[in-house]
Amino acid sequence: MTIRSSFASFVGKSTYWLLRDVLHRGGTSLPGKIATNIDPDILKNLAQDFDVVLVTGTNGKTLTTALITRVLREKYPDIITNPSGSNMIQGITGTLLTAKTSKNQRPLAVLEVDEANVVLITKYIKPKVFVLTNIFRDQLDRYGEIYSTYQKIVDGIKLAPDATIIANGDSPIFMRDDLPNKKLFYGFDHMDQSADFKVPANTDGVLSPTDNSILHYHSITYANLGDYFSVTDGFKRPPLANAVTKINQLHPKFSNFDINGTTFQIEVGGLYNIYNALTAYAVGRFFDVTPAQIHHAFESNAQIFGRQESINVDGKDVTIVLVKNPVGANQIIDMIATEADDYSLMALLNANYADGIDTSWIWDANFEKLHQTNIKNVITGGERYKDFNVRLKMAGFTDQAVYPDLNDAIGAIKAVPTEKVYVMATYTAMLQLRAHLLEQGYIKGRVTE
Amino acid sequence: MNEQQYNLRVAHLYGDLMNTYGDYGNIIALRYYAQQIGVDVTDQLVSLGDDFNPDNFDFALFGGGQDYEQSIVAPDLQRIGREVTRFIENDGPIIAVCGGYQLLGNYFIMADGTRVEGIGAMNIYTENQSTSRFIGNVTIKNSETGEEYHGFENHQGRTYLSDQERPLGQIVVGNGNNGEDGSEGVIYRNVFGTYFHGPILTRNGNLALRMLELALVRKYPTIDWHSKLANVTPEFF
Repeated sequence: MTIRSSFASFVGKSTYWLLRDVLHRGGTSLPGKIATNIDPDILKNLAQDFDVVLVTGTNGKTLTTALITRVLREKYPDIITNPSGSNMIQGITGTLLTAKTSKNQRPLAVLEVDEANVVLITKYIKPKVFVLTNIFRDQLDRYGEIYSTYQKIVDGIKLAPDATIIANGDSPIFMRDDLPNKKLFYGFDHMDQSADFKVPANTDGVLSPTDNSILHYHSITYANLGDYFSVTDGFKRPPLANAVTKINQLHPKFSNFDINGTTFQIEVGGLYNIYNALTAYAVGRFFDVTPAQIHHAFESNAQIFGRQESINVDGKDVTIVLVKNPVGANQIIDMIATEADDYSLMALLNANYADGIDTSWIWDANFEKLHQTNIKNVITGGERYKDFNVRLKMAGFTDQAVYPDLNDAIGAIKAVPTEKVYVMATYTAMLQLRAHLLEQGYIKGRVTE
Repeated sequence: MNEQQYNLRVAHLYGDLMNTYGDYGNIIALRYYAQQIGVDVTDQLVSLGDDFNPDNFDFALFGGGQDYEQSIVAPDLQRIGREVTRFIENDGPIIAVCGGYQLLGNYFIMADGTRVEGIGAMNIYTENQSTSRFIGNVTIKNSETGEEYHGFENHQGRTYLSDQERPLGQIVVGNGNNGEDGSEGVIYRNVFGTYFHGPILTRNGNLALRMLELALVRKYPTIDWHSKLANVTPEFF
C-alpha cells in the first residue's frame, strides 16, 4: 500500500470506529467517502487482498448476496459482505476498509453492487465472478430503461474480461452482448418443452437480441423469464450449467425443489426466492462448495428473508410483504396464491420518494388473478388508498374496507373474518405500519427494513 | 355470466412493446364501465408484422414505451400507418399515451437526438430536451367541458400541436405537452392523445365514459347510450 493509501485507510477506519463506537451510528457511507477523498485509488489497494464476487441486477440482489455468503461460509471461514443499502462505491469502500480478516485464507468478498455503480467499481476491482440476477423495469429508477441498465453493467464487465459471469439464463436480456468472459447460466428446466407460445402482451423485455423479433417460449416462470427461442433464426436459451429440475411444493412460507436432481428446501415462499437460491447454488458450486454443504446452508435460513415476516396480532397470522413494481407484485400474488387457507388482503399504497412517486405500476400487476385464490376480504389503505381502492374495484373486488390512516389499520386486521392476513405494502407504508405495530407491542426492536 | 348483446373490440397497438407505466389500465377502466351497461369489451394485440384492419376494431389503445422499443415499433407502424389513419378519419376512438401519442404525429426526436418518423395521422410533432424530463403530478382543465383531469407525467419529449388539433386541456399543475404553451394532450376527431400515466381512463372516469359513449354511438347509433351511461358512477382521483 502507498503511504497515501495507508493514511486514507487509517482516517477512514478511525471515522468508522468513531461513528460506530462513540456516536453509535453504524452503516453510513462517511468512512468510505472520507478515505476516497484522501486517496481516490484506495479501493484498488483495499481490494487486492480479496477475491471478489460482484452481485448486481435490479431485483433480488440483497437476498442473493446474503444467500451466496451463507453458502460460501460452509467452505470458507473468511468472507465479508456489504450491508444492504451500502451498494454504491462509497459503501463498498467502507466495507472493505473496515473488514476484519484472518491471514489463514485469501478472503472472499461478496459484494452487492448497484447496477450503475458496476463500472465505477470495476475501474478499481477486478472481480473473480460477476453474478447477474435479472433486469426488470423499476418505477424508482425513472430514467432506467432495461437495455440502458444492462449496458451500464456490460460497460463495467468490460473492464474485467477475466472474470466468470454467472447469469440468469432465463432472462433474454443477458444474451445481448459480445463479452469475451466465460459464462455459466442458470435457470428453470422443470416444465414441458414442447409448448410454443408468446408471453402476455403486458410483459417487458420480449425482443430477441439477434433481430428484435418477438420471442416465443416453451415455458415461463414469471415475467419474461423462461425457456425462450426465436422463430426467425436459431436463437434460443443457452445451455444451463445449473437448473431447477423439479418443483416439489410451493407454499407461502416455504418452497421445496430440485436443483440438478438434488432436493432443497428454503423457508420462504415465492418463485423468485427459488431463483435466488439457485443463483447461490451456482456460485457455491463454482467455488467447490458441495451440494450437501449448500443443502446445509439453506436450512434455517428464515431470518435472512426479512422482507417477508410473519407477525401474530391477537391470533391473526399476519404476513407483511414489500411491493414496489409490477413484476414484484405479480410474484407476491403468485406466492399468496399458494395459500391453502382462507385469507384477507390488506393493500397499502404510499407515493413518497422511497415508494416511487408514480403509482401507475399497480395497473400492470395482475390483481385479477386473486379471484382464483382463497381471498375472502380486501382492505385498502395508505396515503394513496384511493389508487389501490379503484384498482381493486376494477379488478372486481367491489366490497373493500378503506383505511387512509394506518393508525386504524391494526384494528382492521383484528376485525377481519380470516385467521391469515397478507399485507402488501410499499416501502414507507410498511414502515408506518411497523411503527404502529411496535407502538402496540406486536413487534419488538427498531423499525427498520 | 350473461351473454352480452353489445361488444367493443379494442386493438392494443404494440401492447407487447409499448406498455410502460400501466397504460393497459385504460382497457381495464373501459371494460369496468362497459360491463355496467351490458357491453362486453375484448382486446386483441396488434404487434410487429400483424395486420390492422380498421373494420375489425371499435377502439384502440396505443401506449407508451421505452425508447428502444419505440425505435423498433416506429418502422413497423409505417406498414399499417395507412389503416390506422383510415380508422382515425372514420372517427375511430383512440387513447394514445406518451410514445403512442408521439408516433401518431409527424415525427419525434429521441433523447439522443435521433429523429423517428411517425405516421402523420395528426399534424403534431415532438422535439426532445437533452438534459431533463418532465416528471410529476399533473392536473389539467378542458375548457369546452370544464372537466378537470388528474395524471402523472414522465416524458422528455416536447410536443407541439397545429391549428388542426385542440389540446386535451390546459395545465393547472405540471408541464404538459411542452412546458411552454400551457397545453396538455390532444383531441383530433376521436383521438385523445396525452402524456398522462396513472392511467388516464382509470383516474378520470368522466373521460372514460365520454370515450365509451363515442365508441358505442359510432358502432350502435340507434341506441340511447347517453341515458344508459348517466347511471354509471365515474371514479375520479
